Amino acid sequence: MTFSYVVEQTINGVTLGGLYALVALGYTLVYGILLMINFAHSELFMMGGYVGLGVLKVLADPAVADKAGMGFLKPIQAFFMSGGVGFVALMVATFLVSAVVVGFLGVIIERFAYRPLRHAPRLAPLISAIGVSIFLQNAVLLWISSKQLPYSRADGVQFVTATTAFSVAGVDVSTMQVFIIVTSLVLLALLDTFVSKTRTGRAMRATSQDAEAAGLMGVDINRVIALAFFIGPALGAVAGVFNGMYYGSVKFNMGFIPGIKSFTAAVIGGIGNLRGAMLGGFMLGIIESLAAGFISNAYRDVIAFIVLILVLVFRPGGLLGEAVAEKV
Amino acid sequence: MAETTTTAAQSGMKPGRRPGTKKAALYAGIALLILLVPIYFQAAPGLGFLVRIFVIVGIWVLLALGLNIVVGYAGLLDLGYIAFYAMGAYAGVLIGQATSGVLGGATYWVMLIPGALAGAITGIALGFPVLRLRGDYLAIVTLGFGEIVRIALNNDFLGLSNGATGLPRGSEVMVQPGMIDWLSSNVHFMTPFGGEFVFTSNVFWYFVVVLLCLIAIVVINRLDDSRLGRAWVAMRENEVAAAACGINITTQKLWAFSLGALSGGVAGVTFAYVQQFISPESFTFMESVFVVCIVVLGGMGSIPGVIVGALLIKGIPDLIQGLAVAGVFKVSGDVNSMITGYRFLVFGLLMVVMMAVRPQGIIPSARRARELRPEDERILEEEDQQMWDVEHRDPGPVDHP
Amino acid sequence: MTRNRRRFFALVAVVAMLSMVVTGCSAKTEQSTGGEGGKQPVTVVIGVGAPLTDGAVALGKGMSRGTKLAVSQANESQELKDLGLTIEVVEGDDKGDPTTGGNVATQFTSNQKLLGVMGHLNSGVTRVAVKIYNQGNVVQVSPANTAVDLTKMGMKNYFRVCTTDDVQGPTAADYAYKVFGAKRAYVVDDSTVYGVGLAAEWAKQFAADGGTVAGTEKTGDKDTDFKALVSKIKAANVDIVYYGGMYNTVALLSKQLKETGVKAPVMSGDGCYDPEYIKLAGATNAEGDFCSSIGYPVDKLPKAQEFKAAYAEEFPGEAIAAYDAYSYDAAQAIINAIVKVAKEMGTDKLASVDGKKAIIAAVAASNFEGVTGNVSFDEKGDTTNKVVSIYVVKDGAWVPAE
Repeated sequence: MTFSYVVEQTINGVTLGGLYALVALGYTLVYGILLMINFAHSELFMMGGYVGLGVLKVLADPAVADKAGMGFLKPIQAFFMSGGVGFVALMVATFLVSAVVVGFLGVIIERFAYRPLRHAPRLAPLISAIGVSIFLQNAVLLWISSKQLPYSRADGVQFVTATTAFSVAGVDVSTMQVFIIVTSLVLLALLDTFVSKTRTGRAMRATSQDAEAAGLMGVDINRVIALAFFIGPALGAVAGVFNGMYYGSVKFNMGFIPGIKSFTAAVIGGIGNLRGAMLGGFMLGIIESLAAGFISNAYRDVIAFIVLILVLVFRPGGLLGEAVAEKV
Repeated sequence: MAETTTTAAQSGMKPGRRPGTKKAALYAGIALLILLVPIYFQAAPGLGFLVRIFVIVGIWVLLALGLNIVVGYAGLLDLGYIAFYAMGAYAGVLIGQATSGVLGGATYWVMLIPGALAGAITGIALGFPVLRLRGDYLAIVTLGFGEIVRIALNNDFLGLSNGATGLPRGSEVMVQPGMIDWLSSNVHFMTPFGGEFVFTSNVFWYFVVVLLCLIAIVVINRLDDSRLGRAWVAMRENEVAAAACGINITTQKLWAFSLGALSGGVAGVTFAYVQQFISPESFTFMESVFVVCIVVLGGMGSIPGVIVGALLIKGIPDLIQGLAVAGVFKVSGDVNSMITGYRFLVFGLLMVVMMAVRPQGIIPSARRARELRPEDERILEEEDQQMWDVEHRDPGPVDHP
Repeated sequence: MTRNRRRFFALVAVVAMLSMVVTGCSAKTEQSTGGEGGKQPVTVVIGVGAPLTDGAVALGKGMSRGTKLAVSQANESQELKDLGLTIEVVEGDDKGDPTTGGNVATQFTSNQKLLGVMGHLNSGVTRVAVKIYNQGNVVQVSPANTAVDLTKMGMKNYFRVCTTDDVQGPTAADYAYKVFGAKRAYVVDDSTVYGVGLAAEWAKQFAADGGTVAGTEKTGDKDTDFKALVSKIKAANVDIVYYGGMYNTVALLSKQLKETGVKAPVMSGDGCYDPEYIKLAGATNAEGDFCSSIGYPVDKLPKAQEFKAAYAEEFPGEAIAAYDAYSYDAAQAIINAIVKVAKEMGTDKLASVDGKKAIIAAVAASNFEGVTGNVSFDEKGDTTNKVVSIYVVKDGAWVPAE
C-alpha cells in the first residue's frame, strides 16, 4: 500500500466526516437543550436531499422545462445553466432553499410532535420521534417515489461534475470532495462563532445549561428551542444535498445509516458539545474510511461502533464532554 | 375516577391474595378465550393466517416482556435488544442441528436452555463494561452492539452463521417438535364456525407461545414484588438515593439486563423453530426499535400494556393486509395497494398522536402512571392517597430501608 | 375486576366480535360466487408475493405488472370464457423480509380461492414461504430465486423459471475472461444470499479459467457510499469489477468508480438487467458495463416482441424491469395449469385439495414457449432453460453483447 493510497483514503474519510459533522450538529444541538435524541433528524437529512434535487431539477433540468405548462422556466434555466455566476447562483439557491425548507420542517415537527411532550417521561419524545421518522419516510415513499432516484438531470448529466479536480503526487481529489470539505468547515466555523459570540448564541448556551434558570433570566425558551430545531435540520439538509451529489442518489430510507453514524459521532465527541460533534464527525469519517481501506469494507461499521464503545468505556462523557455529575 | 383505577389495579396485581369468585371467573374467561381463539380462526374460512399472526405477536410479547424488565422496571434504555434475540435464535439452531440426531422431536424443548443461556450470557458480557454509562450513552452503546452482532452474523463470523444465506444450511431441515405431526393428524373436528378445525403447526406454536408468555408473566409478577423488583424501582427513581440506601446499582442493573436478555433468548429459539429458518435480516435495528415502541406505547412496566402494544405494532399492520390478501374482504387492487402503502404512514402518525395524548402508554402500569406526570396536581394527590392505601392495606413484606 | 382490565377485555371482545362479523360477510360472498356445478362463473386467485413497499420495490412492482399482464390476457381469452373462469391477482407485500414473507404466505394459503403464487423475489423469503405453501398444497413459481439450495429442500410445490447462480455466475466469468479478455478482477458482493452466491460462483470460474482475483470485498445491500472501496479497487489496478448485487448498489459503485477515473467496466447479474441501472449510474458512467441475464435476448424471440408491445399498451410509460418477463412466464405456467385442471376436473373442483395437487402436477409438466424461452421444469423444479445471455450498456441502453 502506497503513501498516496493512505492519503486518498484519508481524504475520503474527511469528506465523509464533514457530512457526519453537519448531521451530528443537529443531534447535539437538540440533545444539549432538550436532552432528547431527535430520532427524526436522519429523515430531515433525507428530506434535504429530496428538496435539493427538486430545486436543481426545476432550475437546471431542461426536461422539466420541456413539460407542458413549464415553458416559463426556460429563460430562468438558461441563466442557471450558463456556468460561472449562473452556477454559483444555482448552488446558493439549491442549498439555501433546501436548508430553509427543511429548517422550517424541523420547527414544525418540534411544535407538533415534541413540544406537547416537554414534561412527559424521557422516552415519550423518543417514541414520538420514531413516529415522525416512520411518517416522513412513508410520506416520501408514497408521494414522491419508492425508487432510488438518480441525483442528476433526466438525461443523466450531473448538476455538479464529480470528476477529479486536481492530482498531487498520484492523489486524486475530486471537485465534490473539495466542495464538501470547504463548505462544511465554513458552516461549522460560522455556527461556532454564532453560538459563542452572539447574544442569541449565549441564550442557547444558557438554555442548554439550565433551561429553567435561563427562562427566569428572560430567555424565551420556546424561541431558543425552535431556533435549535431550525439550525440543526438546516445543516442536516445541506449534508443531505451533498450526500446526493457526492454519492449520486436519494432514496426514502437513505437517512437511517448516516443518522446512526452521525449520532455516534456526536456521542464520541461528547453529546451536547458542538465542537465535540465536529471532532467526532471527522474522527468517525476518517476511522471508517481507513477501516474500509485497510481492514475490511464489511466490518467498517463494526469498527466504528467498537471505537464508540471504547471511547465511552474509557471516557464516559465522550472526548470533549464534561463528566456530568448525577443530579441529586 | 383515575384514582380508583390505579389503586385497584395495584391491588389487583398483587399475587398471593385469595382470589375471589369474580377473579376466578375472570381467569376462567381468559383461559376460555385463549383456547377458543385459535379454534375459531383456524376453522373459520379465510382466517387461518390470523393464528400465525398471533404466534408472531406472541413472540413479540415475549420479547417485549423481556425488554420491559430492562426499560420498564430498571429504567435502562436498550436499543440493541434484538441482539439477544439473535443470540438465542442462532444458539438454538446451531446447537439444535448438532444434537437433533440424539434429541429428535424433543430438540426444540431442550434448545430453550442453551438459547436462554446464550441470551443471558451475552447480556452479562455486554452489561459488565457498559452498564455504568448514563441513560442515552447506554442507548447508543447498546444500539452499536446490536449492529455489531448483526454485521458479524451477516459476514459469517467464525464460519458459524452462514452469513446472509442463513441457517439451517443448504438442504438441512430443522427437526420440529414431535407432537406437531401427531396432533395435526389426530386432532381435527368440525366446528360451528363454518369449517373443520385441524391442529396445525401454527396452532401448536400458538399454544407454546402462550405458555411461554404465561410463564414469563408469572415470573415477572413475582419479581416485581421481590427484593430485586423493589431495588429496580428505587434505582429507576433515583440512582444516587438508591445507592445510598445500600443497593448495589451495578449488580441490580446486571440482573435486569441478563433477565431481560434471557427472555429475548427464549423468544429467539422459539422464533427460529417457528420459522424454521433464520437469517440476519430478521435482527435489524428496526426490530429493536419496534420492541421499544411496543413497551413504551403499551405502557412501561405494564404487562397488559405490552400485550396490547405487541398486538397493535406487530399484529395490526399484517392483519390489515392479511384480510385483503386472504380474500376475506374483496378489495380492488388499487385499494389493496393503498392499504399496503398507507398503513405505515398512519402508524407513524398514530405514534406521534399517542405520545401527545397519552405519553404513559395505552395501559400504564399503576406504579409508573404516578411518576409520569409529576406536574399533574391531581396525580400527586392520588399518589399521597395511594401511599396511604398501600401502607394501610398491604401487610405484605415491604422493604423498609 | 379492575377498570383497566375491564377495558382490556372489552377491547379483546370487540376485536373478537369484529372478526366474527368479518367472517360472516366472507361466508356470504363465498356462497354467492361459489355455488353448485361447473357452469356457474368461478373466480380464482393467483397471488403475487413480492417486495412492494420496502426492499427492491422497482423489481417487485415489475413482477406484479408482469403477472397482471399474463392474467388479463388470459381473462380475455375464449378458453377461460368458455370455462366461465375468471382469474384475479392479489398482491402480498413481503417487503423482502422472511418473517413478513411467512405471514404473506400464510395469508395466501388462507385465501380459499387462491390456487398458486407467483413469487417471491428474495431467496430468503422463499426459504420460509415455500414450506407454508407446501402444507397448503399451493404451487409456487418464482421468477427470480437464484440461490442454488432452494430446490434441494425437497419441496414438490416449488418451481422457478430462472436459472441459478451456478449457471449464471460461471457463464459471465467465462465471458469476462475469454471474450472480454480480462485478466485481473475485483470481486464484490452485497452480503445478500443473491449477491454472495453469484459473486462466489463467478470468482470460482474466473480463477479456474486462469484469471487473477485481485481482491474480494463485501458491502451492504443498501449502501450508497463506495468511495473507500473505489480507492481500494483503483489501487488494485484490475481489468474488470464483478459485483454480485442489485441495480441500486451496483449502479452507484459503477458511477463512483468511473468518476474516479477507473476504466474497468463493472459486471453483474440479472438483478442489474434493468433500465434503472443506467439511470442511476448515468449513461456515460454505465457505458461498457456488463450484466448477465437468463434466457435469450428479447429481440431473438418472437414471443418477446409481442410481450413488449402488450406491456407498453397495458402499462404505458412503465419500463420493463428485470423480472417482468419471467413473472409473465411464471404466471403463464400457473394459468396453463389451472386451465388444464379446470378442463379435466371441472372448475368447481379447482380449489379442493385434489385440485390444488393436480395443479402442482400440471405445473411440473409445463412445456410451452414463453417470453424468455422454453418453460419446462426438471424433477427438482429448476428450469430446463439454462441459457444465459450477456448484455452490455451501449449508448445508454442494455444491448446483447457479442
